[in-house]
Amino acid sequence: MDCDAFRDDMLDVLYGEGGEAVVRRVEAHQAECPDCRREMAALRRLRGDLAQWRLPEPLEAAPVPASTRRLPLGLAAAAGLVLALGAGLAVSGTEVRYERAGFSVRLGRASDTGALAAVERRHQEELALLRAELAGVKAHDSREVLATVAAMIRDSEARQEAARQATVRDLRARADSQRQYDLARVSAGLAYLDGKAGLQAARTTELVGHLLKASQQR
Amino acid sequence: MSPSDEELVAAFQSGDIAAFDLLVRRWDRRIQGVVFRLVGNHEEARDLSQEAFLKAYRALGTFKKESRFSSWLYQIAINATRDRLRRRRRRTDVSLDEVEEGGEPSLRDAGPSALELIESSDLSRAVAAAMASLPEEQREVVILKEYEELTFPEIAEALDVPLSTVKTRLYRGLGQLRVRLERQGIRGTAAVPVPSA
Repeated sequence: MDCDAFRDDMLDVLYGEGGEAVVRRVEAHQAECPDCRREMAALRRLRGDLAQWRLPEPLEAAPVPASTRRLPLGLAAAAGLVLALGAGLAVSGTEVRYERAGFSVRLGRASDTGALAAVERRHQEELALLRAELAGVKAHDSREVLATVAAMIRDSEARQEAARQATVRDLRARADSQRQYDLARVSAGLAYLDGKAGLQAARTTELVGHLLKASQQR
Repeated sequence: MSPSDEELVAAFQSGDIAAFDLLVRRWDRRIQGVVFRLVGNHEEARDLSQEAFLKAYRALGTFKKESRFSSWLYQIAINATRDRLRRRRRRTDVSLDEVEEGGEPSLRDAGPSALELIESSDLSRAVAAAMASLPEEQREVVILKEYEELTFPEIAEALDVPLSTVKTRLYRGLGQLRVRLERQGIRGTAAVPVPSA
């Protein structure tokens, strides 16, 4: 029996991606092949174990994005049925209650239509008031908003440029004064060295004079 | 009703930058989850997820509408992860034992935090360890199928390989996982329900 030929079909069935024909084909094969039957059962158990691998807490609750969320066909049909039933009940005015005695269902529209009509009127009046208020508010033109944002950006850029120029000016002034101070220190240092060298030369001259005088006396 | 990924992509391509923010919020944790399962390190998963979104942001302008955004994003994230694992392997001395086992050293090299971070049962740790021992290509397919619930064509698109390759890698990966878990005395206790076709 060529079990390998059924391998891809088996995976389709295992993950619910095979159509009816594939399911029938796999079932027919497994009915005759105990090895493949056992393997399918083992793979199902393995999937149960794999599902136990949990992510760390911050990642665990990652929701399935709406665009990729898939419901099994049966569940989707059931959900559709419940929604349709709910919508039907709502439209017909049916009331479903859960009290101590259990669920109670009242079919048909409520008898107190007068009260409902009063609520409806009140809502309509409130809506009319809101509309009037809204009409008084000047609608923002998107171009106007864009122009405002552009002006704000320009102001911000101008402030940043002014701050930058002030910083540059300040740095330049500080650099100048530092240079002057350094030059003054260098100059003072040179003067000191000059003075010291002059003194040394005078002492040397004096010493040489003494030596000459001493040698002449001998 | 929230806009679909494809609608957000179209909005982004028309100049609505905020649409990308919505895509990031929608997909960030899932991408981090996939990458975490591949690399076994939370910090690295966050880092690689950011890298993937940055690449997506740069390339989204030229994204072609024939492919699904999610598959495309998975592809970017998986490629980034592969690059990272490759670099990590180059830095790490792979022991002869590891080579003989045929497994990936990636998760074991990630340090003790890799498995310790998983706050769950022994079975969870056993599965993580078994998964770490799979060759990279098989691990990617198993993770996309089991945990991301992508269809076979979606996985083929995300990994840019033929459908038959996806199924072969999955079948082999599942086989290896079974053997490794059985070696640890785990023989499957909670079978998944039979899916409806």
